[in-house]
Amino acid sequence: MGRVVITGVGAVSPIGNNFEEVMEGIRNGKRGIGTIQSIDPCHLPGNVGAEVRKNGKPLLTESHIDRKEIFITQALDELIKGYGRIHRYPPEKRFMHMGAGHDYLDLIGYTNNHDEAAGNWINYSKSGHIIVKELSKVHEIKGGFSVNVTTCVAATQAMGTSFRLLKQLSAGNIIITGGFDSVINHLHYMAFYKLGAMSNWKGEPGHACRPFDKNRSGLVLGEGAGVFLLQDAEDMAAGEGLAEIVGYSSTMDAYKVTDPHPQGKHLARAAVNAIEEAGLRSADIDCVHLHGTGTYKNAIAETNAMQQIFPERWAEIPVFSMKGQIGHLIGACGALEMIGVIYSLKYQLVPPTVNFSEQAPEAPLLVIKDKPLEMKIDHILKLNSAFGGQNSALVVKRYVE
Amino acid sequence: MKVTFDSYKPGEEIPVVQYLKNRKLRKYFNRETEAALVGLGKLTRKIELTPETPFYYATGVMEYQDYGLEEIVKNSTDGTGDFSHKLFIEEAIPRVSPLNLFKVLQNMALSFIAIEHNLVGDNAVIYASASGLLLLALHSLSNNPMLLGASKTYKDGKVEAGFAYVVKEEIEKSPFLYGTEKAVDMFRSWATNRGD
Repeated sequence: MGRVVITGVGAVSPIGNNFEEVMEGIRNGKRGIGTIQSIDPCHLPGNVGAEVRKNGKPLLTESHIDRKEIFITQALDELIKGYGRIHRYPPEKRFMHMGAGHDYLDLIGYTNNHDEAAGNWINYSKSGHIIVKELSKVHEIKGGFSVNVTTCVAATQAMGTSFRLLKQLSAGNIIITGGFDSVINHLHYMAFYKLGAMSNWKGEPGHACRPFDKNRSGLVLGEGAGVFLLQDAEDMAAGEGLAEIVGYSSTMDAYKVTDPHPQGKHLARAAVNAIEEAGLRSADIDCVHLHGTGTYKNAIAETNAMQQIFPERWAEIPVFSMKGQIGHLIGACGALEMIGVIYSLKYQLVPPTVNFSEQAPEAPLLVIKDKPLEMKIDHILKLNSAFGGQNSALVVKRYVE
Repeated sequence: MKVTFDSYKPGEEIPVVQYLKNRKLRKYFNRETEAALVGLGKLTRKIELTPETPFYYATGVMEYQDYGLEEIVKNSTDGTGDFSHKLFIEEAIPRVSPLNLFKVLQNMALSFIAIEHNLVGDNAVIYASASGLLLLALHSLSNNPMLLGASKTYKDGKVEAGFAYVVKEEIEKSPFLYGTEKAVDMFRSWATNRGD
């Protein structure tokens, strides 16, 4: 069994367009949420979103462009050209396992071209599967690829299954993993709005996503991509390791498709399984990077899960959610949030959760606010949960050569 | 290995009610989810699933939709025949049922099966690929039997769904591990060749 190490990162997000910019954005508590510009914000019942920006302004694209394809292409370019490491491996030893969101449909093009009479909507749609297949060819990845579509845990599951694969394949193989998504488009926006899950915050847009806050008001949709190189420790040169994945588990609530299990029972089980696989005890976990969507029910479920994972110190262990800054990236959320994990391990800091200002009585967790908490961090538990009842947990360790 | 595979013609009724413990859930289903619930219902007549049974699922790349796209387009089109953002917000959105989201998310078949059969174990949903599905199973931490499934709705509304209850030894030498076949084709092949 090999040691699975993250040795490279590529990223596009509402707070930065490469890995270093995202790290800087976390450091500065940058807010990536604002008034939506990439689709017409007029008439929208709620008009906040976390859009990828270029030169400080939201990236605007023609309706025939699937934004998530731009993001994954750019993030992969950073990862592959920037690190160059993939070229040490023959194409047959290169793998790609990504998480992705739902297929994009160019509703404007489909309507304006009057193709609805023939029902040719598929000509206006592109799936994450096709995007990853094309990118595998571009980058000569011939070991195999897959696209996980388990909604909000898609990226976490893709990273977790990549961890399992490389752990068993060991040295001589390289895996690219992570996630990409954009839900800021007419159909996706409408779907989440109809569910009633979106933030109804009336104040400054940048304050609209408030994980664990007493006045949390719902989730804010986001977009972006985060990709990672996974290598076996034996394949690495000195100084290349960023973090080591040491445990992974996924469970299902079997409860409701609309709500998380209120007791967080199976989320807790995923965490305990991942900690056990890492050969650790819950006492070894230094901080937790939670899913933290900003919805009322999520905070309660995660608080209850924390009580089961850490019976003695659940209220004392520092927690963080990145969604106050970048919103909810759905199929990519676990990937961008993994950069938050790397940040904590590298700088030995638990960042403040942006927009958390007042503790909710029903979620009395140790959410860091205002300024980062400096502490020794060797092991982080990363949790994500999906609409539909899937839970995923990763345990990530500070890399020591 | 125990296998089921079902195919339904366009418009053919899928007898999902016969296989549901909670019939109120039906309002959330698209045809693919219905076919999946029937397929697993048939499989559980041959085997008994434990809650911890790992469950890996492959969903087909979308070719068919039944979430009301025609209604959305119709109500978003202005007098010149072009898309109108204002009409989309004011006329189309109010006509769409919130239940329709459950007809497009790719993890819904897995989610409803988990609820109906109380499955709480390891899981994943991927797009299409037979080899990807087998890899998930082979690299599972569990050495117990596991549940694999796949479904696909074709452009004309034809639906297929297949399930298998397998152990690793039964799939580790499968030719599908090295091919580019779609997962649903693998289940059709397994069902045809095994006859169970």
